[in-house]
Amino acid sequence: MDFIPDPSLDAFRHEIREAINADLPTDLKEKQIAYAGSQNEPEDSLTWMRILDKRGWAVPHWPVEHGGTGWSPMQLYIFNEECTNAFAPDICWGSSHMCGPVIYTFGSDAQKERFLPEMRRGDYYLAQGFSEPGNGSDLARLRTSARREGDRYIVNGQKIWTSSGYFAEWGFFLVRTDPTVKPQAGISFLMIKMDTPGITVRRIPQLNGESDLCEVFLDNVEVPAGNLIGEEGKGWSYAKFLLDHERTTSSFIFFNKREVARARAIAEAETQDGVPLIRNPVFRDRLTRLEAEATALEWSVLRELSKEEFKYHPTAAASTLKVAGSRLQQAICELEMDLLGARSLRKFAYDAHDRDAAPLWPDYSETVTPRALVMRASTIYGGTLQIQKGIISKLAFDL
Amino acid sequence: MDFNPSDLQRMLLDSAERFLADRFTLEHRRGLRATADGLDTEAWSTFAELGWLSLRVPEALGGLGGTMADVATLATALGYNCVASPFTSSVVIAPTILTGADQPQEALLEAIVGGTARVALVHDEPGDRYAYDKPRGTTAALRDGAIVLSGQKLLAVDAPSASHLIVTATIDGDLALVLVPSDGAGIEKSPYPLYNDQRAADIRFDDVAGGTLLARGAAAQALLTQALDLGRIADAAQMVGSMEADLAICSAYLKERQQFGQPIGKFQALQHIMADMFVATHQARSILYAAIASADADAAPPALARMVSLMRINLAEAYQVVARQAIQLHGGYGITDEYEVSHHYRHQLVLEKLYGDVDHHQRRLAAL
Ligand SMILES: Cc1cc2nc3c(=O)[nH]c(=O)nc-3n(C[C@H](O)[C@H](O)[C@H](O)COP(=O)(O)OP(=O)(O)OC[C@H]3O[C@@H](n4cnc5c(N)ncnc54)[C@H](O)[C@@H]3O)c2cc1C
Repeated sequence: MDFIPDPSLDAFRHEIREAINADLPTDLKEKQIAYAGSQNEPEDSLTWMRILDKRGWAVPHWPVEHGGTGWSPMQLYIFNEECTNAFAPDICWGSSHMCGPVIYTFGSDAQKERFLPEMRRGDYYLAQGFSEPGNGSDLARLRTSARREGDRYIVNGQKIWTSSGYFAEWGFFLVRTDPTVKPQAGISFLMIKMDTPGITVRRIPQLNGESDLCEVFLDNVEVPAGNLIGEEGKGWSYAKFLLDHERTTSSFIFFNKREVARARAIAEAETQDGVPLIRNPVFRDRLTRLEAEATALEWSVLRELSKEEFKYHPTAAASTLKVAGSRLQQAICELEMDLLGARSLRKFAYDAHDRDAAPLWPDYSETVTPRALVMRASTIYGGTLQIQKGIISKLAFDL
Repeated sequence: MDFNPSDLQRMLLDSAERFLADRFTLEHRRGLRATADGLDTEAWSTFAELGWLSLRVPEALGGLGGTMADVATLATALGYNCVASPFTSSVVIAPTILTGADQPQEALLEAIVGGTARVALVHDEPGDRYAYDKPRGTTAALRDGAIVLSGQKLLAVDAPSASHLIVTATIDGDLALVLVPSDGAGIEKSPYPLYNDQRAADIRFDDVAGGTLLARGAAAQALLTQALDLGRIADAAQMVGSMEADLAICSAYLKERQQFGQPIGKFQALQHIMADMFVATHQARSILYAAIASADADAAPPALARMVSLMRINLAEAYQVVARQAIQLHGGYGITDEYEVSHHYRHQLVLEKLYGDVDHHQRRLAAL
């Protein structure tokens, strides 16, 4: 065992930090600090990807031949941490972490040439069209059908919870191409342009004022057969591949570390009878427990990145990071809210542009609560907490 | 002891359940967001007709002279239907102060009962964190025999739809409770919604004349504390009602929602969550009764304070189990504005944090 990171990484971190400082536009950063939603506006992801692409950093974890940087896992870790700490928007995960890897692994050469450069450059946003009204956790039984007719598929059905579906130019969809075989074997992975006739998108209002999630209705949508990725009937294994692909991202370790620091700053700024809440044992205790949990999570991520030999099924490790990370996200954001007491209850306009000036209120009071509210989703998306626990008990212990 | 509703309570409950469920549908409540002050004026008149607004006004002053048990009966029904209204302010807090004032405010109490007046307590100031026994920066001065108010207030709950305000202020180093009409010259309100769509306002008072001194010094502090403790009970009862609605909504959803070819209620993980929610809610109603018993027995103020603070600590933990798991059980539907559970979560969140959080009540208990 050697727990000391490679010293050359310090110089790397320094270089990355300088570059981000130079490249990240102030308005983008400020917008991110004052953001009341779960992630960021999808258009800001594209803006940031375009900026990063000038340095060749838009999709650093991709294979070098498709525009990746060839950085080591630790370098990637540092890069992502620096981006988060600088309050840069996230890049579009649909392209960078989900659909991109599926295409460069299973797509045809023509598909790679067609899609990968556009995704890397941030030319458009990609939505993930998997979940359906009747099929969330039980995704394998999804019903949206794609019937082959000559050189096209005719797609009918409905998707839901499609993040940024209203903004996306393309979506990658799981569709049922064969209703006669067992559910997993009849699913295919289809690229669909979101402006194809027959597609209707409705934005869903959320509990924090955001409406990023969408319903997507598909009514006799004609999709060129060339948009099928890989083989017909293999969609389920591609979906599992992509959900498994980036094991550590679901820990939200960088978000968690940054927000613990923000919670500490709020605890220092908020006072009771003139005494900062950080000196109040109740709040200090809650904060330090979360700091301890975040530290543990960081080292769990590092163990995963350094390819520790793990005596359990690897997917159990991924689910562990997801369980710990998602609960931590909620606990931190809820502490930030509780620190404000009754002053966390004022509902400011969701959009920063629409917020009334409130000189008597600290800036963070505008966003702490909506973020805490929507963070309830972190134990729901990407496999619910109950599903993750089921995976752990099954794959780690065969229960 | 008899834990079953009295005739009056059964009557209140019957009328409340029918009327509230019919009127305060999710669509209706979402529609109220577009109104200027968040108030459903027509429903408020019905509250008056049904006698609800007179519950805490003594019979001698034309009210029903009801107990806190009666108030809680109604408040649970309001919570069950997720109705965010100025109920606690106008039906509990204000009548307590107006009745207990040096000069009971009979005309105003009558107007409250009739539904034409609503009264909000205006206490918090910038820099406060649940400072209910701290000197006020807002001042009340006697000028030519009249009271003049000046100062900056924050987060005055229910003030936007109020006709009158009860303002805490400092008069010659003493606490004063001053009543003013809410539209007087020199009053500047900046209204906004809370996360449950109840309304509040920051209010600036610039040499506001025409105030009535309701109480001062120790009497004012005692009256304020009592009014807040009764208000905390009324809010707690709304929380319990809202938690009970979560139980009904979630248990129905667990039977209806199918995944993996069966109702999700068949999964033991969810059965246990539901059972935890049930236990927390059951305990919450029990401790609510403990606090009501103390209030209705006219317990000495420290005894009431102790019960109320214990209750609020218990509820603050219970609602987290109930309202947050209610969202979890609904999956993606839970975080939309289009399903009840997220509304109940926000409602409980607001009720939990008004008039003291866990930390406040722990401090108060330690100081008793
Ligand atoms: C913010 C957000 C963003 C999302 N983005 C996308 C997106 O871009 N694209 C996309 O396709 N989807 C997206 N989703 C959908 C997400 O993947 C689903 O919400 C999730 O899979 C859960 O499905 P469901 O909502 O249908 O809940 P359900 O599956 O109906 O679950 C309801 C409850 O039942 C429990 N449950 C279900 N099965 C079991 C079991 N076997 N054992 C025990 N408990 C069980 C769940 O844990 C939950 O508590 C998003 C969701 C959210 C909240």
